[in-house]
Amino acid sequence: MYQYDAIDQQLVEERVAQYRDQTRRYLNKELSEEAFLPLRLQNGLYIQRHAPMLRVAIPYGMLSSTQLRKLADISLRYDRSYGHFSTRQNLQLNWPKLEDVPDILAELAEVQMHAVQTSGNCIRNTTTDQYAGVIADEIVDPRPYCELIRQWSTFHPEFAFLPRKFKIAVNATESADRAATQVHDIGLHIKKNDAGEIGFKIIVGGGLGRTPMVGVTITEFMPRKDLLTYLDAILRVYNQNGNRQNKYKARIKILVKALGIEEFRKRVEAEWAHLKGKESTVPMSEFDRLSRFFSEPAYEALTNQPQELISKLADSAGFARWYERNTFDHKKPGYRIVTLTLKKPGQAPGDATAEQMFKAADLADKFGFGELRVSHEQNLVLADVRQDQLTELWEVAKEFGFATPTLGLLTDMICCPGGDFCNLANAKSIPIADQIQDTFNDLDYLYDLGNIDLNISGCMNACGHHHVGNIGILGVDKKGEEFYQISIGGASGHDASIGKILGPSFGQEEVSGIIQKLMNVYVENRSEEERFIDTYRRVGITPFKEAAYAKAN
Amino acid sequence: MPKLIKNGEIIDNTYVWLQDEEQEITPNSIVPAQKWLAEKDSIGDVAGIWLEAGDGVECLQGLDLSELDVIGINFPAFVDGRGFSYARLLKERLNYKGEIRALGNFIPDQLGYLLRVGFNSFQFNDEVDLEKALALHRPLSIAYQGDVTDPRPIFLRR
Repeated sequence: MYQYDAIDQQLVEERVAQYRDQTRRYLNKELSEEAFLPLRLQNGLYIQRHAPMLRVAIPYGMLSSTQLRKLADISLRYDRSYGHFSTRQNLQLNWPKLEDVPDILAELAEVQMHAVQTSGNCIRNTTTDQYAGVIADEIVDPRPYCELIRQWSTFHPEFAFLPRKFKIAVNATESADRAATQVHDIGLHIKKNDAGEIGFKIIVGGGLGRTPMVGVTITEFMPRKDLLTYLDAILRVYNQNGNRQNKYKARIKILVKALGIEEFRKRVEAEWAHLKGKESTVPMSEFDRLSRFFSEPAYEALTNQPQELISKLADSAGFARWYERNTFDHKKPGYRIVTLTLKKPGQAPGDATAEQMFKAADLADKFGFGELRVSHEQNLVLADVRQDQLTELWEVAKEFGFATPTLGLLTDMICCPGGDFCNLANAKSIPIADQIQDTFNDLDYLYDLGNIDLNISGCMNACGHHHVGNIGILGVDKKGEEFYQISIGGASGHDASIGKILGPSFGQEEVSGIIQKLMNVYVENRSEEERFIDTYRRVGITPFKEAAYAKAN
Repeated sequence: MPKLIKNGEIIDNTYVWLQDEEQEITPNSIVPAQKWLAEKDSIGDVAGIWLEAGDGVECLQGLDLSELDVIGINFPAFVDGRGFSYARLLKERLNYKGEIRALGNFIPDQLGYLLRVGFNSFQFNDEVDLEKALALHRPLSIAYQGDVTDPRPIFLRR
């Protein structure tokens, strides 16, 4: 993974000092609440319901075991011994003290980490596929490009005070889009043209929140050397023309919609004409330099399906289940990608205790070349596990709550922290996740239902991506009481779509019963091998609606 | 006399930021860009013009800006970042060589970014302590991107 040199290190250290000074001036009242707000947000610090929340950046989800141990250690000493992995591959600490944050940042800097631009109206952490670099069918490893974008976006002097937040995600494979790129402000799809040159299809104006939209293509192929100048052009058009009056109309998606993609493209191209070929054009030497950080680890020459694996699969239904659901094909023979799920019943989706983080770091050292990834679905990934070591890993993973064999199934939910923690939330989301975990606890049934994305957000801001869940649950407030609106038909992959609202919202206690009814409709209507989303697309919303709102006989 | 920070020093502010249409225009006035554009031939000698957020810089395209000692850019709120693009475009696109002055509600903690996009003078609101602001008058020493001081991104300088 990327390693800081003296330049990168100096920058994060200067940032720690700068933020320490800002905190000091805020605490002694030299900086007003109003002035400190965006300054602390640009450093990932929110003031939440009970305490501040600090969002630590995990650039494109890559973590070393050393970094994860540091996060665990920080959560023990400065917080309540746990952290929350977010859909944008970051880590949130829910209980730090505002005055401790500079010290936390200084400790993060020791392991090449920071909280730069993890919130605020600026360019946020760039995210990508958690399987980057280890799947067979990707065009190229997207991580060097993510790092290029990370550096370009870090303390960009022109774009620190945008109309609204700005999120970029990168995908590099035709077979899946695990980074939900089409619902980002900019989605980048790495492509090769007929001449074999690497470039990007650029999608702009996707996003969730109050006005969910799937992005539209602004260019089918932008050569990689021109990526940064083109991004500068898009951001410059947005910075000058985005809505500054109403924060609910301030995302780039609203501007793109208002102008229409042709006009928006025209303006970007006009701007780009001045930037194209200038200094920010990326030389081959930089692609080479960045790529070297993501070279292959020292893989052994192995073969697929070693005897140990074959016999374990035959002997243990539990192991076979886990293998089927929670591991994924690796590009190298004899290796497997393993997801350590953070979806244990009774634990909030995406939460990991300090003990779990320490353990995951140990597992990474023992089985995964000392590296991990955080996934958009709020799990951890060991990318390079030997197939002959899967049994051993599974045993430990089970013990520490990492082996719930439900990856991609109904109970592998995306869930925001919700009203238990967040100031913005209208309703709690974790109790809903708990309720669904309790109701759908029969693994055979879950397997039979197959792949279903269920996403829960506690408010319209949609941190739990409810719009793009096959089933989406949105917490709403009605006269001080918490209700839940359910939508179906959303998707976040290459077939991205925004879900449709089923109808009037439901009381908290009704939610899993309604999900059960939706599942019944699916099971009755599906043709063989048809996923929930495909059945929905074929039969439409009506049967689901009828079942959900039918009066009991 | 009111003070401002210019080129890293606290100095007397000899210009008057003309916000009120009724104010008398003198050779020391910084007048609204739109007014100057409309009355360019009759307005007489002025120190410079200022851009409101939303004006953009296209309106100045093709004009001789060398007669202007100063171009001000107003920040209606410090979180309104349009002025960052304007300053950069004045420098890099319109090749303006004179003083670029930040006006309005920007804050000292933005100085690092403001300097990097081409501002060299800062007329803070009255409540800002200029001595304290001066302590923030420097960007971080590392810049990943090119800027008006050095157009080369870090990958050309590593």
